[in-house]
Amino acid sequence: MEIIIVLGVIALVILFVVAQYNRLIRLNISVDEAWAQIEVQLKRRADLIPNLVESVKGYAAHEQSTFDAVVTARAKATTASTVADTAAADGMLTQALRGLLAVAEAYPDLKASANFISLQEELATTENKVAFSRQFYNDNVRELNTAVKTVPTNFFAGFAKVSEREFYEVEDPQDRKAPSVKF
Amino acid sequence: MNFRSQQAANRRKTIGLLVGMGVLVWLVALAALTYFGQSTTAIVPIAVGIALISVWGSYYGSDKLVLTMTGAKLIQESDNPKLFGLIQEITIASGLPMPKVAIVIDSAPNAFATGRNQDHALIAFTTGILDAMDRDQLQGVIAHELAHVANRDTLVSAVAATTAGAIAILSDMLMRMMWFGGGRDRDRSGGNPILLVFSLLILILAPIAAVLLKSAISRKRESLADATAVAFTRNPAGLRSALEVLERDSTVVRQKSNSIAHIWIESPLDAKAVSKMFATHPPIAERIAVLKAMESLN
Repeated sequence: MEIIIVLGVIALVILFVVAQYNRLIRLNISVDEAWAQIEVQLKRRADLIPNLVESVKGYAAHEQSTFDAVVTARAKATTASTVADTAAADGMLTQALRGLLAVAEAYPDLKASANFISLQEELATTENKVAFSRQFYNDNVRELNTAVKTVPTNFFAGFAKVSEREFYEVEDPQDRKAPSVKF
Repeated sequence: MNFRSQQAANRRKTIGLLVGMGVLVWLVALAALTYFGQSTTAIVPIAVGIALISVWGSYYGSDKLVLTMTGAKLIQESDNPKLFGLIQEITIASGLPMPKVAIVIDSAPNAFATGRNQDHALIAFTTGILDAMDRDQLQGVIAHELAHVANRDTLVSAVAATTAGAIAILSDMLMRMMWFGGGRDRDRSGGNPILLVFSLLILILAPIAAVLLKSAISRKRESLADATAVAFTRNPAGLRSALEVLERDSTVVRQKSNSIAHIWIESPLDAKAVSKMFATHPPIAERIAVLKAMESLN
């Protein structure tokens, strides 16, 4: 009888350890997958840019500095590899694209062209996808980091070789600017 | 309340209501045993069995069944790239796989989601909703529909429909037994008369109570889907203004059958519902108010 109880307790302990270990591994894989999704969406956006620049150039060839800013930001974004670098380049590119769309505002013919309209819709959805993949990644990182830091999963983090991961934080100058108040 | 506490509260209430359903089945069985004696023992498993078969067949094939019942047509990405782009945005935000997409040719703005699990999910939109709504509003609607998929609401409503169905079949069978005078053990008529009256009352009222519980569960799942949609988009304003469009619009989707009225984002039947208690959706003004409260938190 006692043997059965002892064996039962051991079995429960093993099940518990396995469950904690698997949870950590699963969370870590989710973060990897979420990161891969960010990269896919950033690549999609980078692929979209040459077309967009060309189509604006057709109407506003002299806005060279805007195009240069977009092209430089795009080059940086496609070469970045760490989380922090990618996030910084991503923020720069978002900013440069805003500048490009602001330029386009001044050219009614461009705004009315079918090609530009469809590119604009594609850019809008891609920007949203980038934003949502960031949000999904950060949610996953938050869950993993909480698990790594809280009882009981924290006891198994070292054993599972899972550690806290970095959040994806985009530096957007527009978010930081204090709202200007006029009286 | 933010969307996280909204989600938690709605989940808790669903569980409470499902437990209520279980208690109701148990009460009916108990009442049957008290009123008719041991001869009715077999009736409960029979009723549950019939309900299971009828509901779970339609649950398993819900994506195909609903297509024929609503006249929705499946579309491909090339048919409407903008809509697919919007849906892909939410699948990225939610981590769900891409669902099948269908269009219902109907000028009333409405949408629904169905499917037994996330890999068999189907979301459909009327042509009316695609015309009436802008990008942010549609995004909110899509998030609401995919929230139903993420929360497995087809399963929840199948469970609710099964228990409500079983109770309806059960009390129907017992009523017939009463009618034909069979059943009740006259030899053991020393039973407490108050208990007998109680049992009879339960048998009569249980089916109504079951329908009320089923509607209450449906309403909680709608509120939960609204909260989950905000968890996906982090933009309560989009869904809120989409609901305002639905509120202003008085046209109602033409249906071939009332049996699937509850799956639409705006119920085609609730306007006619006798009372709020039988409605499958919370009043649209109430949903807007909850979303507005979430907006003010940001």
